[in-house]
Amino acid sequence: MLRLWFDKGTLLLKGEAGTPYGKWDTRVGCYRIKAYHYRDVLEYLAESKLQVEDDVPMLPPLEHLKSNVELRDYQNEALNNWCKARNRGVLVLPTAAGKTFIALKAIQQLKVQTLIVVPTLDLIDQWKKRIKDYLNLEADAVGGGENTLRMVTVTTYDSAYIHAEQLGNKFLLIVFDEVHHLASTGYIQIAEMYTAPYRMGLTATYERSDQRHSLLSQLVGDPVYSVGIEEIAGHLSPYTYEKISVELTPQEQQIYKSQMSIFRSFLQQRKITLKSAADFQKFIMTTGRDPKAREALLARNRAIRVAVNSEAKLNVLSQQLETYKNEKILIFTLYNDLVYRISLRFLIPAITYQTSREERREILSNFGNDKYPVVVTSQVLDEGVDVPDASVGLVLGGTGSNREYVQRLGRLLRKKEGKLARLIEIISKETMEVGTSRRRHQKIRGAA
Amino acid sequence: MLPSNLLSVWKRKGEILPRYAKSSSSNDEAANFLIEAYKSHIGEKKKVLKALVAELEDKGYEYRFVRALSLLLDRKSTFVCQCKVDPVDLRRKIFQATEQFGLPTTSENRRKILEIVASKMALAVEDVEEDFYSDLDGELVLEKFSAPSASELLGEYNLGLTQTLLFDATELSFTASGNWQDLFHAIKKFGLIYEVYQDNGLWVKIDGPGSLFKLTRRYGVGIAKLLPIIVANLEWTVRAKVLWRFTNEICDFKLESQKHASLLKKPHLPIVTYDSSIEEDFASKFQALTTGWALKREPEPVTAGKHVIIPDFSLEKAGIKIYLEIVGFWTETYLLRKIEKLKQVEVKMLLLVNEALACEKLSALEKRPQLDLIYYRDKISLAPILRYLETKFDDVKFKEIKLLEGLSIRFTEPVVAFREFADRIGVSAEASRAFLAISPPSGYVALADILVSNEKLLQIGDRIRVAMSQSGKLPLKEAARIIEEEGVDDSANVLTMLGYRIRWRGINSEQAEVSKDPKNFGE
Repeated sequence: MLRLWFDKGTLLLKGEAGTPYGKWDTRVGCYRIKAYHYRDVLEYLAESKLQVEDDVPMLPPLEHLKSNVELRDYQNEALNNWCKARNRGVLVLPTAAGKTFIALKAIQQLKVQTLIVVPTLDLIDQWKKRIKDYLNLEADAVGGGENTLRMVTVTTYDSAYIHAEQLGNKFLLIVFDEVHHLASTGYIQIAEMYTAPYRMGLTATYERSDQRHSLLSQLVGDPVYSVGIEEIAGHLSPYTYEKISVELTPQEQQIYKSQMSIFRSFLQQRKITLKSAADFQKFIMTTGRDPKAREALLARNRAIRVAVNSEAKLNVLSQQLETYKNEKILIFTLYNDLVYRISLRFLIPAITYQTSREERREILSNFGNDKYPVVVTSQVLDEGVDVPDASVGLVLGGTGSNREYVQRLGRLLRKKEGKLARLIEIISKETMEVGTSRRRHQKIRGAA
Repeated sequence: MLPSNLLSVWKRKGEILPRYAKSSSSNDEAANFLIEAYKSHIGEKKKVLKALVAELEDKGYEYRFVRALSLLLDRKSTFVCQCKVDPVDLRRKIFQATEQFGLPTTSENRRKILEIVASKMALAVEDVEEDFYSDLDGELVLEKFSAPSASELLGEYNLGLTQTLLFDATELSFTASGNWQDLFHAIKKFGLIYEVYQDNGLWVKIDGPGSLFKLTRRYGVGIAKLLPIIVANLEWTVRAKVLWRFTNEICDFKLESQKHASLLKKPHLPIVTYDSSIEEDFASKFQALTTGWALKREPEPVTAGKHVIIPDFSLEKAGIKIYLEIVGFWTETYLLRKIEKLKQVEVKMLLLVNEALACEKLSALEKRPQLDLIYYRDKISLAPILRYLETKFDDVKFKEIKLLEGLSIRFTEPVVAFREFADRIGVSAEASRAFLAISPPSGYVALADILVSNEKLLQIGDRIRVAMSQSGKLPLKEAARIIEEEGVDDSANVLTMLGYRIRWRGINSEQAEVSKDPKNFGE
């Protein structure tokens, strides 16, 4: 009889037959198979009428769950499409469309051991709370100091990657929240090293500029449902967008100009043109070995920093805080030092990568229950963490990425009666920021 | 190990080369500058220290090198938050106050809120400002620093640099002069897979389970962690395939003890410990005896197909090498796996097996010609092992004697030492003695360790007779001198052979005398 078992993120098959999915591994004298082919191998052996002793799954015990999840029409449709695709596939829905609930419903219907993979520790907390509230289940977590498994377990991409050799055969359903992360070179191996036959990917921004999202079809499933922001507008909060331009202070202008001219004259001397992201990547590579190039890059960074962190912006920010003093406000910046300057100046709670997990939890929960009306953060809250009644987003700086823009907007779109969401961008005139801001809006409709 | 963004390497003709920091005046200067900076900044904030470090970058030192050294020094430092109150608690109080008084958009309002909180906590406003974010990384204060020497720091940097380079490795092969038990233990612990092959010694090739499907960096971290255990040895050679991170092309990486050992920090070799008291007990008892067998703990690995077994001991005598493995308390699955491996062993191995484990599968091993089994109960007794070793040796001796008998050996020299003869022919001393002493070639007499020609014996006999002619006696010392002069060093046996006897007066050989043995000379 054949025997199939899990070995460090792969499957091993021993016996008198092979499979089209495996490769003979001379090192161990068995067929070795990528873990994500688990389902294919079982089906192949069944079709070939071959008996196999399947020692692969090592599942945590099942628990009783009681669900009270009610899906909206479009959420139902998404789930149905996923089920029809043999419980695989990617669902593309705008932020705030309630992707979490579709996954919760899937868990309730399948009643199997489930791993939920999320980008940040904050999202672990949020998912655990949802699972408790809507499935009446205690979920466990791997990552951020926690390390236990239960029927439903939540983990980060980092932990799922690092522990793939141990966790790979412990679940039958795997849910990838913000699945576009999965396509990166490292994380893609999570999809390969886990055996879970049922796979669900959730995202608002499926396409990646590097085109690697095409890898997801084979490993998670095709996009089986996609809906735009307009089609479900009734379920989201209406929003406005505003741009406020500020002038750099004379001193800042002088620094900006002198630093940018160092950068530009270097490019001219070397006859370098930077038109695309790839050009820029190439330029960055040369800075590793060419001190002149590195000096040029540093000058450019100093200029951008002055523009992004301009004192003038803080004056506008002060006015905005006055204007919206009865609203719940999220402030986004590009750099951490500006986060702390704002935090110190206006005595606003700050969240950056340096904030401990406990303090983060405390700040977010106080933000949620109205104790803290404003939170300032760099990029760490871009994804996840929903605060339903946050209504104003003040953007003081960001990358040119359209995804970042959509995600930050998404923090404000949770529907609440009578709420009008406002996204307000404060940028420095006559600097690179103008172009950066334009870039992130180019595809706003398409992406949202 | 260093963060990947501090990796400083270059590529030449498909080979990847780390920019090692050799000990030079300029590198030593950089290292010393930093070490002094840390020493003199105890009690200062980390951001002040780091600004000084950045100055070194401006002086033309490569920034990755400077930052890496600084990072290594951070790891030898203790940074603490020096604050009057817990900053998290302080912030909480301030944010709560803003809830009450509203967000301050003017500096007056801000000051008012801080004053309220300060007075509640019995602090000055300046203290509140100072402590507000005193737990941020740059605000921490250097409390303790254990300074390395410049050369230690550079050695650590070079080792860290090599490890960081290996994060991008897809496979690594090595050979090393020892430390095998630790190496194979680590390979397993880090989730790697090995294959062994011979190429002027035993080589081990390492990658991971998923490497079968595609080139992957996944196992790079495990490979990097293995490096210190390899280079802890006296001699080693490392070859690796590394993916160049910018283009994904595969580059070669080479490292060898002869060229690089002096560059790298040498990690400490762990002290050899015994896995079980059974082994320890066996080793100490065996070494207490003079058996002529050299016992070695954890010898080099023995190949078993594509895998290896590291036997507990090896025993060597007269060109015979027998490996010894103690099969003590093992789980069944482990035992079965071990049996599979043992079946593939191609060298002579003696298994000492606990009787409690005796099973059909094990007894199947008895049929393998390379393997021999001796069972034991509770404790290993030496007697059956010594008997076994003796028969092994007897087999060899017997074969050697047959070999010697087949040769037509003729001697011309007057004295032939058994051992010297053994070495000349390449047989054991025991075989040589047995062959020469039992049937000495004609014209020769066998003493304890030598052959002496009859002619030589007669010569010696003549000289002694002359020396003795007056008194009929001769001091032993004098007789021995004559014999030595004739090129023979076994005077006592020569004298006996010639029919003399030695009369001892006390134990002092100075006073011993040689005289004719009446039995032989019939006087």
